[in-house]
Amino acid sequence: MVAGSKKLREAAVVAVTLLVAIIALRMSAKSPGDLSALDRGILRLVSPAQSAMSLIARAITGVAGRYVELTHVRAENETLARENQKLRAELTEMRRLAEESGRYQRLLGLRDVTPAETIAARVIAVDASPYFRVARVDIDHGESSVRHGMPVLTPDGVVGRINKVAGKSSDILLLVDPRSAIDVVIPRTGGRGILRGKAAENGYRCSIEYLARGEPAKEGDAVVTSGLGGAFPRNLAVGHITKVIPGSVGLYQEVEVTPDVDFARLSEVLVIVAPPPAPDPDPAARRLPARGPMVYR
Amino acid sequence: MRSAITLVVAYLLLILQSTVLELAPVRMATPSLGLLVVLHVGLSSKWTISSAAMVAFATGYLFDLVSGAPQGVHAFVFVLMALFARALSTRLAVQGIVMSAVTAFVATLLSSALIVIVRAQVAPEGGYGGLRQAPVEALLTGFFAPFVLGLFRRIDGKVDAARSRVGLARGPQGFDPIPRR
Repeated sequence: MVAGSKKLREAAVVAVTLLVAIIALRMSAKSPGDLSALDRGILRLVSPAQSAMSLIARAITGVAGRYVELTHVRAENETLARENQKLRAELTEMRRLAEESGRYQRLLGLRDVTPAETIAARVIAVDASPYFRVARVDIDHGESSVRHGMPVLTPDGVVGRINKVAGKSSDILLLVDPRSAIDVVIPRTGGRGILRGKAAENGYRCSIEYLARGEPAKEGDAVVTSGLGGAFPRNLAVGHITKVIPGSVGLYQEVEVTPDVDFARLSEVLVIVAPPPAPDPDPAARRLPARGPMVYR
Repeated sequence: MRSAITLVVAYLLLILQSTVLELAPVRMATPSLGLLVVLHVGLSSKWTISSAAMVAFATGYLFDLVSGAPQGVHAFVFVLMALFARALSTRLAVQGIVMSAVTAFVATLLSSALIVIVRAQVAPEGGYGGLRQAPVEALLTGFFAPFVLGLFRRIDGKVDAARSRVGLARGPQGFDPIPRR
């Protein structure tokens, strides 16, 4: 009797646990970008640990790389080993600093040419699950202006959009995630379509949906943002067509796109926090505020 | 006590999975360390099925937040995987390196299929694709399984030792919700 009621209680707890998970699923399906106070609290605990771990991991790989290089130099010339080691270590460190500085300079350059207000963010985690292409970033300054749906880019091109925001950390839905949809255009042909991530592929690939049959797309064609939809400014690099699926029937062409951004080496990104100024139809209206209305919600 | 320690270790493993492993050479898939936590609580007779389900839910929910997946996907799948592991433990003795690795391999394939099915319900635009990377993920999880499951067995042993000192030891001879054959 006692064992029976205990069994019943156990079964009830399991059923309630499953029910809570289903409720959480339904809620996240209804409003994907929303986070509860509990979620935000948990993320505030998780993000600093992720950030610290990411820094430690990168430092360890840097030291390992330097060790391999130093060993190689010693084998090459024993007599000059000490001096050589020192110089090589310095050189490696300088190269690393120069590379880092170059990355920041490119990011700053992009910031200057992007016709929108941006803030920089550091990537602390990418693709914890292979079924959801999401990166987490840490924002040092101006995190309060980051909202769901804001575009994210690097000097190489578009990265994706902000998906969830929790204090200083935010999740980016990468453009290779099947949930991502970006309005794009092929400048050579003028063909427009919706860029969507391909879940079926192992690598980082996308396809363009609703690309009308007109002038056929070719492998190597550049793909850029169309500027429609209000989120992304026009003409931002997205990727290149790497495969045109032959013999596709129907109204639309089938093409595969490889993004210009190397998601495996994502380290710093820019978040567009305010859209570019609206086109000025009347020169007399130049005295009006430059910024258009915020479209991010 | 046991649940709290397990959840802290799960938290650390998930942080590890989301950061350090991104620097690993195999970039397209990472071992599902969270699933190994679930396998441990499901397979071990020291855990009642209700506490195993609750720890699986918490681990899955945490993983949803860490990975950026829609909340509830891993939480739901991990609870199902805890039930699967418990059902498996009544039929098989999952002991030793090979059995641990094989069980983790099979469980990862199953959980990948479940994740893709649940994802298709939450975000239909993604369809049912993405399973090509499941074998690599399963292989990696199988490789790490003996170490992680061994770590949890050691933690359970230490908890038992601490509990026995105060007369609260719980072992396989205690109440077992699923009768053994």
